[in-house]
Amino acid sequence: MIGYHGIGVWLEKAAAWLLALLWISPLIYAFWAAFHPAIYATRFDLLAPLTLDNFREAWSQAPFARYYLNTFLLVTGILIGQFVLCTLAAYAFARFEFSGRNIAFALVLVQLMIMPEVLIVENYSTMSKLGLVDTISGIGLPYIASAFGIFLLRQTFKTVPQELEDAARVEGCSWLQVLLKVYVPLARSTYLAYGLVSVSYHWNNFLWPLIITNSVETRPLTVGLAIFGAPESGVEWSIITAGTLLAVAPLLLGFLLFQRQFVQSFMRAGIK
Amino acid sequence: MKSVKRYMAVMASALSLLILSSNGALAATELTMYYPVAVGGPLTKVVDGLVADFEKANPDIKVNAIYAGNYNDARIKALAALKSGDPAQLSVMFSIDIYELIEQDAIVAFDDIVETDDDRAWLKSFYPALMENGVTQGKVWGIPFQRSTIVMYYNKDAFREAGLDPDSPPATWDELVSMGQKLVKKDASGNVDRWGLMIPSTGYPYWMFGALTMQNDQVLMNGDGNETYYDAPSTVEALQFWRDLGDKHGVMPANTIEWGTLRQNFLEGKTAMMWHSTGNLTIVKKNATFDFGVAMLPAKKRRGTPTGGGNFYIFKKSTPEERAASMKLIRFLTAPDRTAEWSISTGYIGTRPDAYETDKLKSYVMEFPPAAVARDQLEFATAELSTYQTGRVRKLLDDAIQATLTGAKSPEEALGSAQDQADRLLKRYR
Repeated sequence: MIGYHGIGVWLEKAAAWLLALLWISPLIYAFWAAFHPAIYATRFDLLAPLTLDNFREAWSQAPFARYYLNTFLLVTGILIGQFVLCTLAAYAFARFEFSGRNIAFALVLVQLMIMPEVLIVENYSTMSKLGLVDTISGIGLPYIASAFGIFLLRQTFKTVPQELEDAARVEGCSWLQVLLKVYVPLARSTYLAYGLVSVSYHWNNFLWPLIITNSVETRPLTVGLAIFGAPESGVEWSIITAGTLLAVAPLLLGFLLFQRQFVQSFMRAGIK
Repeated sequence: MKSVKRYMAVMASALSLLILSSNGALAATELTMYYPVAVGGPLTKVVDGLVADFEKANPDIKVNAIYAGNYNDARIKALAALKSGDPAQLSVMFSIDIYELIEQDAIVAFDDIVETDDDRAWLKSFYPALMENGVTQGKVWGIPFQRSTIVMYYNKDAFREAGLDPDSPPATWDELVSMGQKLVKKDASGNVDRWGLMIPSTGYPYWMFGALTMQNDQVLMNGDGNETYYDAPSTVEALQFWRDLGDKHGVMPANTIEWGTLRQNFLEGKTAMMWHSTGNLTIVKKNATFDFGVAMLPAKKRRGTPTGGGNFYIFKKSTPEERAASMKLIRFLTAPDRTAEWSISTGYIGTRPDAYETDKLKSYVMEFPPAAVARDQLEFATAELSTYQTGRVRKLLDDAIQATLTGAKSPEEALGSAQDQADRLLKRYR
C-alpha cells in the first residue's frame, strides 16, 4: 500500500517536472539563441561564445525605450480603469436589488463569449468617431468594461458575509464607504490575480494595438517586436529572441520577484 | 525623425501658403500610406528615408508612412480604417489580395487615374511577370514594389566535396535528383548529416508548389481569379515529384520542412540546396560561412517560379487631388534610382528593367552576381496563386500538399478533393 502510494507521488512529481520543462523550454531556448551568435541558434554547444550583439541589433531596429513607456502607460491605464469600473459594477450586481439586474448581468456574461478580434472593425469606427485613433486611450478603452473582471469580483463580493456589511452600516458607513472599507480589502487577492491576468494580456496584446495606432508615440512593445517577424524571408532567430526577451523582461522580473504573492492570490481567487 | 517630418510639414504648409497667396493655385495634400514589412532588417528606416526624400521634392504633399505589421495585418488595418471613414489613400499590400480588395470595392484601377501619356507609358515600364498579379478584368490595380521570386541557394563547398561542378547547379528535375543524391551525406550509422535539397512545405507551401507546377508547364489558376487547376494531370504530377524527392529519391527529408528555420538549416550546412525567397539573399550573404551560389530553379518542361510580395494600391475613398498625389508618390518610389536602392537594401527584385541600368544596381550586380539571378528568372515567372476567396482557396491547396507530403493521402486524392471544394467556393464568381 505504501509502495503504491510512493509510486503515485513519484509519478505525479515526474509529470509535474515534465510539464514544467515543456512549459519553460521556449523561454530557455530564447535565452540560448539571444545570447549566442546566429550560427549557434540551433546548435547547442556549451562552449559557444556569448554575445550581446543580438540585443544591440534588436534595440537599434525599433525605438524600444518609447515602446516601453507606451506599454507601461497602456497597461497601468487599463488596469486602473478596469479596477474602478469592474468594482462598481460588481458591487451593484452582487449587493443591490434592481429591476433587470439578472438580464443586465447575463448580457455582461455574454461578452465573455465574444472574441475581441471579431469587433476590430466596429471598435475602430467607434474610436474614430471619438477621435481616439492613434492614442493610448484608444487602445485601452474597448477593454475597460471587462466582463471577466466584473464576473470575478461579483463572485468574490458575494462570498463576503452579509453581517460585515450590516456591521459597517450600523457604524454609519455610506454604501461607498462599505465598498471601500469592507469589500475591496477582503477581495485583495482577487484584485491581485485579476491584475496579473490583465497586465500580462495587455502587455502581450498585438493585433488591436497594431490596427488602432499609427505612430511611434503610441505603439506598444509587441507592435515594435513584430518588425522582426519577417514572414517572407524566415525569421532571424537570434534577433527575434533578443527582441522578445527585451519585451518580456519587465514582466518576467516582476513575476519572479512577486511569485509567491501571485501564486497565493491565484489559489485564493480560484482562477485557473 | 518625427520632429524633422513635422518641421518639414510646417515648412511645406508655410511654403504652400506663400504660393497660395501669390497665385492661389497650389494647396497642401496630406497622404496616409500603410506598408507591411515582410523581410528582416531595419526597413522602416529605409521607407522613412525614401518618404522624406519625396516630401523634400514635393513640398505641397505631406506623407504619413505607417508601418502596418505583416501582409495580413496590413490588409486588416487598411480595411478597418476604410470602413471607419478615417482611411488611408494608398497602401502596399500583398499582391494576391487584389481580388478581395476589388470585391470589397476598396481600390481603384490605375487605368482610371492615369491622365497623361507619360503615366500610361509608366504603367508599362515594369517587368510583365510582376504585373500579372496586379492585372485583372483588363485593368491594372497594383503596381509592383516589394517583389520576390523563389530561387535556389546552393552550397558550393558541398558541391566540390561531392565531386560536382560548383558552377553548374542542377538545371532539370533529373539533375536535381541525381545531384541531390550525390550531395546527401550520411554518417557511419546511416543517419543523414546533410540533405541534398530542402523545399519548405510550411508557411507558404502553395508558393513553392507554384514553382513546381510552372516547371511542369501548368498554372494553378486563371487570370480572372475564378477557376483553379488543382486536379490537372500536370499538377498531380508535380506534387508526386515533390513527394518522391523525399519518399522515393531520398534527396530531401520525407515529411514537411519548416519554412521559418530553413535558412538556418542551410547556413548550418544541414542541406546542400534550398529553395527560398530572394528576400533572403541579403541575410544569406551576410551570414554564410561557406562559398554559396544562387541559381534559377530547374526545369521539367520549362523553367518556372511564381512571383511574390507586395504591390501598391490606391484606395477608392480618396479625392482626385489625393489620387494625383498618390500617383506622384508611387511614381517617385518606383523610379529606377529608388527601385535600385530599395532592391539593394532589401534583396527584393528591381521591378523594372531600367533599374538594372542604373549605376548603383549595375555595380552591385557586378560585384555580387547572384543579385541578378532573380531578375533573369523573371522571364520564366508566373503569377502567385490568387483568386477570389483567396485565403480559403489557398488553404485548400496548402492542406492537400501537406497531406501528400506526410503520406496521409495520394496526390490525386488530395488535389481532387481540394479542387472540388475550390469549385464550390468559386462558382458564384463565374
